[in-house]
Amino acid sequence: MSDLDDRLLAAHARDDRRALVTLYGEAGMTANDIDASCFYLTHAYIYALEMGHPDADSLHARLAKHGRV
Amino acid sequence: MATHPNDLSAVRAPLENAHGLPNAHYVDPAMFEEEKRAVLFASWAGLAVAADVPENGDAVPLEFAGIPLLLIRDRAGQVRVFENICRHRGMILVSEPKKIEGAIRCPYHSWCYSTAGKLISTPHVGGAGHNTHPAIVKDDLGLNEVRSHIWFDTVFINIDGKADPFEVVHADLLERWREFDQPMYHGGADSRFDLQVETNFKLAVENYCESYHLPWIHPGLNSYSRLEDHYNIAAPGKYSGQGTLVYRQLKGPDDMVFPDFANLSDKWDTGAEYVAVYPNVLLGAQRDHCFVIILEPNTQTTTTEHVHLYYADPKVSEDMRARNAHLWRGVFEEDIFVVEGMQRGRAAPSFDGGRFSPVMDGPTHCFHDWVAGCVQAHRTQAQAAE
Repeated sequence: MSDLDDRLLAAHARDDRRALVTLYGEAGMTANDIDASCFYLTHAYIYALEMGHPDADSLHARLAKHGRV
Repeated sequence: MATHPNDLSAVRAPLENAHGLPNAHYVDPAMFEEEKRAVLFASWAGLAVAADVPENGDAVPLEFAGIPLLLIRDRAGQVRVFENICRHRGMILVSEPKKIEGAIRCPYHSWCYSTAGKLISTPHVGGAGHNTHPAIVKDDLGLNEVRSHIWFDTVFINIDGKADPFEVVHADLLERWREFDQPMYHGGADSRFDLQVETNFKLAVENYCESYHLPWIHPGLNSYSRLEDHYNIAAPGKYSGQGTLVYRQLKGPDDMVFPDFANLSDKWDTGAEYVAVYPNVLLGAQRDHCFVIILEPNTQTTTTEHVHLYYADPKVSEDMRARNAHLWRGVFEEDIFVVEGMQRGRAAPSFDGGRFSPVMDGPTHCFHDWVAGCVQAHRTQAQAAE
């Protein structure tokens, strides 16, 4: 995760929300358990929701599958 | 003889005998607070113009008498006004004008709202990765919407939510200017300007209402708009202002003029009217352009005047537009020393509110009487609640 952490921190530093959607989505895919995965997917979803990103619906569906929205 | 600051009977007397509002209404912070509730929050006050949010998703944070508000054009195109705070911890939601592409995200814990104010996401509210909780019902926690109404492109708000509908309160004025109920186009960046004025907002209203001062303060108007060419407009309890019988269009090279609004009656060929919509909106209606001035009451002694010029066609000559804006800026700047001078005059302890010309000052007294009536009604309600 360290490389991903670095890329996330860099995306936050430049306030690159499109990248945050992608990177948090990636973190959600690689997390070890459901809670951690949904934590990251939530962040991806929220940034996608804010910017009207086309992935918002699919991220919402992934969270809904686990009863998290 | 100075009157007691709470005695408004002299203000409400007939014009011939009336005095103006006591000094306290212009200088006392406590009276400003009382007038916020009695006058600004209880009526339909001007906040902004719809042209401030021309496209869907445009959002502008504003303050009105200390209240943080958010002006937004929602995804469906409806202009709305919300309290600019998250329902979670009261954090300010939007800090600078921006386009909302998707949702309004609170910068604190990222609760998200639709442009129509609906709460749509509460991340981690039930713990990390758990975005719901039975105690947090989204349908109950939408943004607090402020009652609003748009007329003459002006966004009017009723903060306390108790005023009669705008169309009822201003039925007379809507009928009076029915001919202008047609598309009007903001001239854009060169047709808006702000004036910072060291005065209570009411003095700007009072000065605008009357034509008495025109030959003295605006001598440039004399050649084509003499005092005797004006008439008073006074609708007690509603609005007041002045009209002219000799409006002349601005002319550019080769006698170029702005296009007229459609289907106006003959009255408007040489007529124009200038009305103060109480408490804080000043409007001008003319055959070829209109203007809106929102008076933003910052403190009891400071006001920002937001001026906007409108045309009958979305594409008018840029040069003419600039000349017109320059002309009006000059006229409105000529009024500044007057309203600032009257403000400073309110520090004189013996001033009794002044007297009114029974012939010339009816529109100004009409406004004083309305303010006094609002304050009296507020005090009566407050006493009844005790």
